[in-house]
Amino acid sequence: MAVGVSTPTASTPGATARVVPSTGKSTGGGGFRDQLGSLGFLAPAAIWLLVITLYPVVATFRNSVFDESATSYVGLHNYQAIFSTASILVSFRNNVIWVIVFPFLVTFLGLVFAVLSERIRWSTAFKTIVFIPIVFSATASALIWRSIFDLDPHIGMVNAAVQTASGWVNPPGLYPVNRGAGQTVAALASSGLERGPSNSLESTSTATAGDTLELGMIGINATTLQLVGAQSAVEPSASSGAITGLVYRDFSPSHPTIRGQVFPDEDGLPGLKLTLLGADGTSAATTTSDQHGGFRFAGVGSGSFLVRIDSSNFRSGFTGIFWLGGQSLTPTASLSQTAQALLSVPLIDLSMIIAYLWIWAGFSMVVIGAGLAALNRELLEAGRVDGATEFQIFRRITMPMLAPVLVVVFVTMIINVLKVFDIIINMAPGASQGDASTLALEIFNSGFTGGIHSGLASALAVILFLLVIPAMVSNVRRIRG
Amino acid sequence: MMPRITPLAIAGALLLTACGGSSTSASTPHGGSVTLWAEWTSVEQGDFQAALQPFESQNGITVNYAGKGSNMDTALEAAVQGGAPPDVALVPDPGTLQTLAKGGSIKDLTSIVGSASSNYGSAWNQLATYNGKLYGVWFKGANKNMIWYNPAEFAAASISSPPKTWEDLIQDATTLRAAGVTPFSLCTDVGWPVADLWQNVYLKTAGASKYNQLASHSVKWTDSSVTTAFTTMGQLTGTESNLAGGIRGSLSNTYPECVDKVFPKAGQPQAAMVFEGDFVTSEIIGNSKNYTPGTTGSGGSACTPDPSKTPCYNFFPFPAPSANSANNSAVQGAGDVALMLKDTPQAEALMKYMAGPDGAAIWAHLGGFASPNKAVPSSSYPDPVSQADAKALVNASAFVFSLDDLQGTWEKNMWQDLLNFVKDPSSSNVASIEATMDTQATAGLGH
Repeated sequence: MAVGVSTPTASTPGATARVVPSTGKSTGGGGFRDQLGSLGFLAPAAIWLLVITLYPVVATFRNSVFDESATSYVGLHNYQAIFSTASILVSFRNNVIWVIVFPFLVTFLGLVFAVLSERIRWSTAFKTIVFIPIVFSATASALIWRSIFDLDPHIGMVNAAVQTASGWVNPPGLYPVNRGAGQTVAALASSGLERGPSNSLESTSTATAGDTLELGMIGINATTLQLVGAQSAVEPSASSGAITGLVYRDFSPSHPTIRGQVFPDEDGLPGLKLTLLGADGTSAATTTSDQHGGFRFAGVGSGSFLVRIDSSNFRSGFTGIFWLGGQSLTPTASLSQTAQALLSVPLIDLSMIIAYLWIWAGFSMVVIGAGLAALNRELLEAGRVDGATEFQIFRRITMPMLAPVLVVVFVTMIINVLKVFDIIINMAPGASQGDASTLALEIFNSGFTGGIHSGLASALAVILFLLVIPAMVSNVRRIRG
Repeated sequence: MMPRITPLAIAGALLLTACGGSSTSASTPHGGSVTLWAEWTSVEQGDFQAALQPFESQNGITVNYAGKGSNMDTALEAAVQGGAPPDVALVPDPGTLQTLAKGGSIKDLTSIVGSASSNYGSAWNQLATYNGKLYGVWFKGANKNMIWYNPAEFAAASISSPPKTWEDLIQDATTLRAAGVTPFSLCTDVGWPVADLWQNVYLKTAGASKYNQLASHSVKWTDSSVTTAFTTMGQLTGTESNLAGGIRGSLSNTYPECVDKVFPKAGQPQAAMVFEGDFVTSEIIGNSKNYTPGTTGSGGSACTPDPSKTPCYNFFPFPAPSANSANNSAVQGAGDVALMLKDTPQAEALMKYMAGPDGAAIWAHLGGFASPNKAVPSSSYPDPVSQADAKALVNASAFVFSLDDLQGTWEKNMWQDLLNFVKDPSSSNVASIEATMDTQATAGLGH
């Protein structure tokens, strides 16, 4: 490198003779050769970068206006198809949900963790625990959280906890009917019974003193029979002044298709809470069916009565919230199909956001924590001296000073979340994939499954690219500025 | 002075004598290698390579096998485009055979296979034919014409023999419900098992030729035969109490969890029947080695619902409505067809081997395999269930591939549409689904 003897910057005494020439200021030949040299070193990497990034981008733009096999020009047909396909509109909606909810939550959580961890004693341990999930791939997190959110309380931690809590408040009956699993109390009525109000069963015919009723139920399996200690059905004899009857399982192993007849091999149903209803619908007496399914209401007086099998017998207790389902949190059930597609907020989106937050909250905490550490403490002290509360200091001094860091995290997360893919494909069960899908997943589904089809997928990729540009530009500007 | 005999000559002489006992034709080469791709990985790969073992040792040909998983078709097409295909490939999609034959990338096998083509029924050979010439040899078949049931659960409802007609099936479901047994575990996953089920119902109600017309969209999705299939299937899946977990539980059923509901590892079964192909057996045996195929438990004892004692598994052929009994032996299924991409002597030898019964018999013995090849002896199969399975394949009056796999780009939409039907089987929804499917078919297939 030539030493610029004649450069103006070398005029101060004591300045070293070796001056770094600014571009073009040193003698002509040396500078140009420098540039050439630099370019020569940069060229291999630059050419490689151009080939593997620029060429595919240009090719994708080109493919987006060609057909699926990239041979014939179709103009804007692919773009039109995108906006008229319901499943793709759903994925747009999901991207919007992710972009609105996730960056805000992750920045907020990072801020809270960063601020709190400054004030506790074991802050290193705390920060480590919060930060560790970042080493998990989104796939690993998806599988872990999928198991946590499982519908079956025996597998899913969340539903197990809710079930335990609900069991204290709302214990199940002896003959639980799982309405969430499509079972109904009405389906249990076989002979002499019909559906009653509030998930109870009522006798179809009325009874007066001295009558015997036979109430047959189906849909009760061997396991339940064993649990309640069922024995063979024995009908109590009629008694004057009393209404007696038998509640029995109307399924006979020797006559499996015949209903309404009390066969010798049929079981009685013990432990059922029964109410005698007077003509005005009020309760006249209550009792419980005995070991052999028999029951007796003594001294009923005149008038006709109905027998009701109370709904408390069929309480199922908690059966599981489908955290990974596409049911909407917003009330869109009555809207048109397109409106539903665009306005629903499926529960699974929130479950997946939680799983993704678990990974990224630590990152956000660390970045914001670094920003916090670089704050000028004197300003905070000055605020305290002036008598501001901690919260006021946080709101008026800390937050504005942290603002640049928060924005960086926020915008980075927007870019991160626009392309979210692996957490969805691994966490959403098959039937929910349609409700949970995002743009990146649609690109994969339309472009790479069942062969390689480039038209629609390229158009989607172009749109995703255009969506990411504003966030990218803002970040680049921030780094420059 | 003795002539110098090089070690190579000695080795060559030894090789020739070693191969002298081969009973293959005079043109079988010795030595050399052949590259082979198929979809099988892990356990299945081990079984497949065991099936190829006699071929390798008899002929001294090394088979360089690579398992490509479920992306086999895509991987092969990419390799063909890239100019570096394997010598022989087994593909699960008959459409790939058609595409590659049209493009001239695979070889005509008529003279190579020769008389061995009579090992296959006409239904099978038809599927491997393009432009009147034979391009493929079927090696493995999968039967989807079956409903698996837990005999202990049927016994709890006193159902002595499985249903023979669709009406019997619905009646048995009612009896099961009365006994407190949930009749059916519906596999939904991302939609393909529902498609398999719907296609089967369509095949059994409308017949094979209409099925193929629908697959190629010569029959519209708004046709009355389609509505009949939806209505028929709705008799089973539309009654929520027929399904384990109801509709909500069914929609969160992935495969193979739905199978575990009927044949659990531990605990009581949650349903009596599940529909899916013969690949279900590996899941059942994987859950517990106690599961015995057939209607009696191990040691001749009765089947128990408890998997820790003597549980059983069995299937009955998918029943057609009594009015459509002609469709009883029409089979929907899958298969892997062997194609030859490079005409080398080693590749030809491999194709001939695969058209014969030897390789298939070995894998049949290992389980989890069925071959449509008539020449494979029934005794190769380890139990009556797999024997019955293979027999159905061999004797199929018509064989159709999964309709959804033939739909190309709109296959996934079809799955979503059928899941939508499960969610809401009302007739108004059916009409709307049919219209949507027809539009999607036109867009996806281009006609």
